[in-house]
Amino acid sequence: MKLAEKILARASGRDEVTAGEIVVANVDGLVMHDLSSYLTSKVYEERIGLPVRYPERVTVVFDHTFSPADESTADVLVHDRAWAKRHNLNLYDCGSGNIHHVVARGGHARPGGVIVGSDSHTPVYGALGAIAVALGNDSHASMVLPYGKAWFRVPETVHVTLTGQLPAGTTARDIALWLTGQIGEGGAVYKALQFEGEWIESASFWDRWLLPLITVDVGAKCGLIEPDEKTLSFMAGVPGAASGTDHEPLRGDAGDVSERWSYDVSELEPQVACPPTVGNVKNVADAGGREIGWAELGGHGGGRIEDLRLAVEVLRRAPRHPDVRFNIVPSSRQVMAQALDEGLVAELHAAGATFFPPSTGSNQAVNMGAMAAGEAMISTHSRNFPGRNGSTESEMYLASALTVAASATQGRITDPREVISDARELAGVTAGVQS
Amino acid sequence: MSGVALQTRGRAWVVGDNIPTDQLVKARRVFLPIPEMARYVLEDEHPGFASGVSAGDVLVTGRHFGQSSGRAIATKAIKATGVGCVVAEYFARTFYRNAFEIGLPVLEVPDIRQHVSEGDELSVDIVAGTVKNERTGEVLEGRPTDPFLLDMLRAGGLIPLAPTLAGEATA
Repeated sequence: MKLAEKILARASGRDEVTAGEIVVANVDGLVMHDLSSYLTSKVYEERIGLPVRYPERVTVVFDHTFSPADESTADVLVHDRAWAKRHNLNLYDCGSGNIHHVVARGGHARPGGVIVGSDSHTPVYGALGAIAVALGNDSHASMVLPYGKAWFRVPETVHVTLTGQLPAGTTARDIALWLTGQIGEGGAVYKALQFEGEWIESASFWDRWLLPLITVDVGAKCGLIEPDEKTLSFMAGVPGAASGTDHEPLRGDAGDVSERWSYDVSELEPQVACPPTVGNVKNVADAGGREIGWAELGGHGGGRIEDLRLAVEVLRRAPRHPDVRFNIVPSSRQVMAQALDEGLVAELHAAGATFFPPSTGSNQAVNMGAMAAGEAMISTHSRNFPGRNGSTESEMYLASALTVAASATQGRITDPREVISDARELAGVTAGVQS
Repeated sequence: MSGVALQTRGRAWVVGDNIPTDQLVKARRVFLPIPEMARYVLEDEHPGFASGVSAGDVLVTGRHFGQSSGRAIATKAIKATGVGCVVAEYFARTFYRNAFEIGLPVLEVPDIRQHVSEGDELSVDIVAGTVKNERTGEVLEGRPTDPFLLDMLRAGGLIPLAPTLAGEATA
């Protein structure tokens, strides 16, 4: 059996499952943010009304709102907070960070487990060797909360093999953007994508993390990376499991491969996803050098400590362009603490960047990041649909932290190799930021 | 909730490919009561839709419809417009799952938009997996729907089925 099948078989108490079959499986973690917990709690209170069976397996993170900007949002948070406390759920309030970073760092998602959430990027926990799937509010309210279970169609697995090593100036985030374009929006509908190969094996945990994030954009059900010593080393640094939710990590049977898509990353250039959709991916060099007024490190595809270090390296070599507002949104309080400790906050502040609280930053312009017609932002966010950040006539471009920082120095979408032209120096920069 | 009609006949409303849930219902609308939210469905993509749609009409769309957020609110808002069915070339999987869970019939029909124009009268049968264009007389074959999901629609959605699925139904 393949990894996804093994996890679903164990969670549904079966010896074997096959792709296409529908199973009811035990759920180890339900994760919700401020918007989804509101919607789920409404359905739960109005139509279900049973006790929460396993409150320790349910985690609520207020990450879309880091501070309510109006009374109606404050009302939502008050409602969510009271609901989470009434049922003894794990609650991380405003300023805790991006939901998925908070959940992973809190030990609420674990190898070999089954994790569900409403946020469409929930499959990111596949980076831990878990099966993680975005479900709707009615699944959460009617099955997960009262019974600790959910129904799943066992997905077909595609092995996505990444060979080669990246050239200077290109990072893990560029692979993720490029694959979205290569596979295409809806190019992997209902499938499980298992990322593997030479590049995955050599990549750090937090670089691997960026790959299962794209599964929703290509239509896949989930993305998985088989757990290895890097995964276990990450898990060794997070709190222990809520009782009864830890499992032996699983790996798929070697050689059980039905479909394989192979990609060589060794010639890959820096990538940018241009409006209007995440699949409209180009080489940065071919993206026309559009002027930008905003740059942001934050959201699902950024705000890691590696991203902040890259920004510092770039800003040491070229000053911020005076017409660019450069927002920094750490992905968690741990990253904020680490950035303070390493002096990154002081250096980025001195370079003219602006720090925002750990959160999802400008995602959907819930607390920040709205743009007027004609404005443009380049960011590490995960979505660029028109109107998501203010005017439908504004533009969001998605890129790596390195490209975002390089663009912030030039005031237009810029290939980082233009700012750090010595390839050896640039390779040293990208290698040097790894923990 | 009672079961959902698995056949419908109505006017076709046609929109494009890759429409995200954010365009179905904008983030700033998701806290509205659902009947009110229904008035803003597709407000940018098809401004006449929400005010003109009648019960039983058919929303026809292209590839990867309903991508992006997995919140079920987009499907609930579409259902609240009175649409009898959404037909797409294919759906984003979160939208597809949510549709059955909340009792909104949907059907995947390859190349549907090459055979349907805005305003055509359509008859859709989810069980047979067919769409008939009453203007042209053409009958289009869709992808079969899993019997598990048809049963979910017959039950009126996931909520009435959940205790049985979880093995916790009380007699």
